[in-house]
Amino acid sequence: MIRELAALTRRELLRLARNPQAIITSLLLPILYLILFGQAFNIGAFFAGQPGGQTALLLALRGAPTYFSYFSAGMTGFVAVTATLFIGANVIFDRLFGILKRTAASPATPTAIFGSRLIAGMVQPVGLAFLVIGLAVLLGHLGLSGLKVTAPFSLLGTAEVVLAVVIISAMFASLFLAIGFSIEQPQSYFAAVNAINLPVLLTSAALYPWGTMPAWFRDVASYNPVTLAVNVLRENLFQGASAYYPYGPGIYLLGLLAWALVMFVVATLLAGRALAPRD
Amino acid sequence: MTDPIVATDLVKVYSGKVRAVDGVSFSVHEGEMFGFLGPNGAGKTTTVQMLTGNLRLTGGSASVADLDVVRRSHDVKQRIGLVFQESTADPDLTGRENLELAAALFGVPLRTTRSTIDSLLERMQIGDAADRLVKTYSGGMRRRLELAVGIIHSPRVLFLDEPTLGLDPQGRAGFWRYVLELRKDRGMTVFVTTHYLDEADTYCDRIAIIDHGKVVATGTPSELKDRLGGDVVTVRLSNGGGAAVETVLQGLPGVASVTKFEDAYRVKVPKGEELIPRLVEACDRSGIRLAGVSLKRPSLDEVFLEFTGREYREDEGMTATDRAVRIGQVQQAFGRARR
Ligand SMILES: Nc1ncnc2c1ncn2[C@@H]1O[C@H](COP(=O)(O)OP(=O)(O)OP(=O)(O)O)[C@@H](O)[C@H]1O
Ligand SMILES: [Mg+2]
Repeated sequence: MIRELAALTRRELLRLARNPQAIITSLLLPILYLILFGQAFNIGAFFAGQPGGQTALLLALRGAPTYFSYFSAGMTGFVAVTATLFIGANVIFDRLFGILKRTAASPATPTAIFGSRLIAGMVQPVGLAFLVIGLAVLLGHLGLSGLKVTAPFSLLGTAEVVLAVVIISAMFASLFLAIGFSIEQPQSYFAAVNAINLPVLLTSAALYPWGTMPAWFRDVASYNPVTLAVNVLRENLFQGASAYYPYGPGIYLLGLLAWALVMFVVATLLAGRALAPRD
Repeated sequence: MTDPIVATDLVKVYSGKVRAVDGVSFSVHEGEMFGFLGPNGAGKTTTVQMLTGNLRLTGGSASVADLDVVRRSHDVKQRIGLVFQESTADPDLTGRENLELAAALFGVPLRTTRSTIDSLLERMQIGDAADRLVKTYSGGMRRRLELAVGIIHSPRVLFLDEPTLGLDPQGRAGFWRYVLELRKDRGMTVFVTTHYLDEADTYCDRIAIIDHGKVVATGTPSELKDRLGGDVVTVRLSNGGGAAVETVLQGLPGVASVTKFEDAYRVKVPKGEELIPRLVEACDRSGIRLAGVSLKRPSLDEVFLEFTGREYREDEGMTATDRAVRIGQVQQAFGRARR
């Protein structure tokens, strides 16, 4: 089982390494957001100089010092979605190429086949998430708007951030694998993915300042997995931010884990069905 | 020990409509090279996929390597090798990496993995290309790689689904040479489907002819040909013919039978070359105008005609071969786009 999983994961990673286009395209989006959108979209300017402006800004951004800081933490949740999109498509292409059929005809268990794709599928979003954090911090040092990490370093906080990134990546990787294993046509896959992708991002707190959302929207956004992950990041990155959140990062992590488990179970079932003897 | 492959009344109905396999029974003996011969769409791939635990059975049962293919499909996969009709090697991996993956999945002992792979690569003559991506391989190289992948764990039973499809005659002969060698060395039982009559005739110990999902004849190639009762002389007439023609033909010495087939008569006779001069003479005398006479030694073509009442045909519609070709085109297009 371990050997199967290792061998299949190696195959996925080799393929990823040999098709760098996928990596490059998934890099492009967050970079453009950081150096264009994040630079131009400066909410802080509206509050500056007004009486009580700073307090209002902190309230709107839930304790983040600048909108860019708030938004770049959101981008890490964002890339977990965009960088996992393609892994379900790989399943579809592998089916088209007969590779899935060959793997299903081997004694490899469906768990190993699914697991290898999940593990390999998380490498890119996790790497990208930390790249986004690094780049966002770097931009601040280049005289542009940048991510200001105001909280002091803590081991627990770092662990929580890493966990949040890993779990949100696993959740979306499972989701897109589930779709990939149950759909046969690439076109239908991309249609389904688009139908999920944007609504998920647009109902999350990844981009919008919390303080400007209507109450009903906040209710929806609170349960969004991207919001849950982003909450963990923001509470840990910004000094005093916890005062603006009803729960500590641990609770959000649990919520995120619940989402991930549901997706994982659904995806393993669908993968198992797709790999069982055909009808 | 029971036979390594026993199929009993296998039935496959796709989507409740297409009856692809319709009550097929046969058994393959230990160490045999068993040919499953039939035209496009006959149900060969469907049968292979059921026997290898990859396709659900609509009816019947089968055991392969002493295991029930339905209840023990996972263990069946461990004991057999399967070469698909279409190319299924991973184009983004090298030949060696494809073999390494297969070795891990089929549980080849770690100690011997490297030497097994090296010797297979050499034997299949892909040693030089072992570290090249498979998408740069020629069709023949891919086929040989697929065969290497199929036998990496020294399976007891090897299934080959149209292994020589798309190869030139040289490639086909070469491929068969590997299979024969392997069988000799390892005593494997081989189940091979083909729609090349000559391949079945030359290389198989025993064959089953399948048509429209039914096995119409089983036996060694020479048994099947013997059942034809000798040569077949085909007589074509320039003016329709009629009952008189049959009487004349029947009356010739040595003639075993006369059957009308489309606009011709098939005359079975032990020695065709001796019949022809007399036949021409007799027709001349009776005023029957001949358009042509041809002599055929018994071949599997004749066998097929005999058992199905039709010429060896290629069915219409999208067959597995078409799909394989289509997939090949898609792969090529992707390969090009990727490079
Ligand atoms: N998944 C499927 N759904 C519906 N019909 C199918 C399916 N697969 C095969 N068939 C049909 O079942 C019949 C037998 O197909 P099969 O692939 O077993 O034939 P074959 O003998 O292998 O042909 P070929 O020589 O072309 O490979 C054909 O009529 C085919 O169109
Ligand atoms: Mg076929």
